Amino acid sequence: MTRIFTDRMNIIYLLVAAFLAVFPFIYDSRSMLILFSQVFIFAVLAMSYDILLGYTGIVSFGHAMFFGIGAYTVGIFMKRFEPETSYFLLAVLVTIFLTAVVSYFVGLLTLRLKSHYYAMLTMAFAGLFLVLAEKWRTVTYGNDGFTFRVPDFLKDRTDFYLLCLGSMVIVFMLLKRFTNSPLGKVLQAIRENEQRTESLGYSVLQYKVIASIVSGVIAGIAGILYAVSLRFVNTSVFTMDITLDALLMTIIGGVGTLVGAIIGAGIIEFSHHWLTELAKVHWIFERWIIFFGIIYILAVMFFPMGIVGSIKKWKFSRKKKVPAPVHSDTINQGKS
Amino acid sequence: MDVLINLSLNGLATGMLIFLLAAGLTLIFGLMDVLNFAHGGLFAWGAYSGIWVYTSTGSFFAGIIGAILTGMILGIVTERWIIKPVYGNHVQQILITLGLMLVLSEMLKVVWGPNQISAKTPDYLSGSWEFGGIIIIKYRVFIIAVGFAVFLAVQYLLKKTKIGLVVRAGVMNKEMVQSLGINIQKVFMFVFMVGAGMASLGGMLLGPYSGVIYADMGMEFAILAFIVVVIGGMGSFTGSVMAAVLVGLSGSFMAYYVPDLALAANMLLMAVVLIFRPHGLFGAKG
Repeated sequence: MTRIFTDRMNIIYLLVAAFLAVFPFIYDSRSMLILFSQVFIFAVLAMSYDILLGYTGIVSFGHAMFFGIGAYTVGIFMKRFEPETSYFLLAVLVTIFLTAVVSYFVGLLTLRLKSHYYAMLTMAFAGLFLVLAEKWRTVTYGNDGFTFRVPDFLKDRTDFYLLCLGSMVIVFMLLKRFTNSPLGKVLQAIRENEQRTESLGYSVLQYKVIASIVSGVIAGIAGILYAVSLRFVNTSVFTMDITLDALLMTIIGGVGTLVGAIIGAGIIEFSHHWLTELAKVHWIFERWIIFFGIIYILAVMFFPMGIVGSIKKWKFSRKKKVPAPVHSDTINQGKS
Repeated sequence: MDVLINLSLNGLATGMLIFLLAAGLTLIFGLMDVLNFAHGGLFAWGAYSGIWVYTSTGSFFAGIIGAILTGMILGIVTERWIIKPVYGNHVQQILITLGLMLVLSEMLKVVWGPNQISAKTPDYLSGSWEFGGIIIIKYRVFIIAVGFAVFLAVQYLLKKTKIGLVVRAGVMNKEMVQSLGINIQKVFMFVFMVGAGMASLGGMLLGPYSGVIYADMGMEFAILAFIVVVIGGMGSFTGSVMAAVLVGLSGSFMAYYVPDLALAANMLLMAVVLIFRPHGLFGAKG
């Protein structure tokens, strides 16, 4: 991030956040509220994924496991105990603890491996959690899942909308701070050139583990919000689809830019909504994901920096004759 | 004894199907350094197109040929248009092949609808033999035989023919092969085609074995194939067949004795192998 962006962009972010905050009071539509809440939740997930993919340059296929841990933790707490605020807060704390522990150990075991093996092993670990959720029927009710009641303060849709918006804004600011901190800079250095970073004396593994913990905890929080928004949880939260969603959002929006993750989440969720409605017109829209699959492949091939990255590059090349920021072509740097 | 033999046959048959998928993966990886996350998609495409040809023509053999051809064509298209632009870049490869997997399995639903399709065993392969009280299902023996034949054929191809020599040399040192005046791009394409054909054949054979085919079967079997490739060692053909039989047998025995742990056992096996022997059991290089 350079000077040109920080000041003006901050004002824009603030305006957008303020607009979104008053939005439910201007435009009263229940389905829109739910849709927007959904966008905010997935934006949190996509931002957490971006910490791994966009800022540290590692591809995880097991992100759903943290999302699922969050969703199941809150579900089980609300179902087993009373749906009260105190238990909800306890569930949040337990989620943070569990995701941190799991991501620490999984990270320690897997992050030493090369990119292929890491991707496969994280996929396998997420698969283990999926099996666990299916088989541990006494707690998870297997594949069917279970519904649960939520505390009073989460019942109102508008309040929940504001909570999701708040979470997204807070996560955005925290991660922005995180990625601009010296630690975040080291992560970006790892992404650009791992060997060089290591030879400069940074212990790459530890930094990667930190990135994976931060990312895992935030994905867990997204999972909590997701389960609360549905008031229902089943094994689908552990499936590959969740990871794929995060991946699509991050790639299409723009890797290595937190705003990109938010925009990507918005695009995917809104298109999902509209294209599913279009399914009445033509059945091909039922399979809307195929369009995104194709866009995604084209994006990886031709626009590896996604929407936001491309705009940024274009803006830079127009304003000054300086090269675009190095971090814009994240994926291109993945050579090893 | 009855149970033991049946479980072993079942495990071997599943192992052979996984082998057909994993062999292509491991060869492609060894030669091109590409891990094809879309391989399961080719497997599912083989199943759908093969079963489609089989039910519309009524000939099982034609179905097999159709499946292999579909797989080869898709393999060439994948290699040329999807993977070639991103050679040498691991992150991009992982992302792009996963995207292709998504597109392939969604395309299946577009072409053949989202529902499961049932697949029948042809008459001459259905039924079973009985040897002194032990019932052996014919189709399982057929799968094992086909798998073994493919194994022998590929082994012959690799060890005794000119192209096999080039492939083996390519696995060891690509640059050297290229500098000796061999067009490695063509070899890449050939290997990708063979790998995709084997995966499609596996998918086709799975159809009558499990009775139904569905779009997500690609992903399910691909995960097993990844496990096999990791356990056997990436790039090792012999390793992949050993590991496939191991995973198949452990799957069938676990499913009988401790059903809850069937899938978990394989994944734990892979995790342990990766942690203590990252190159796999037979892998020469990492």
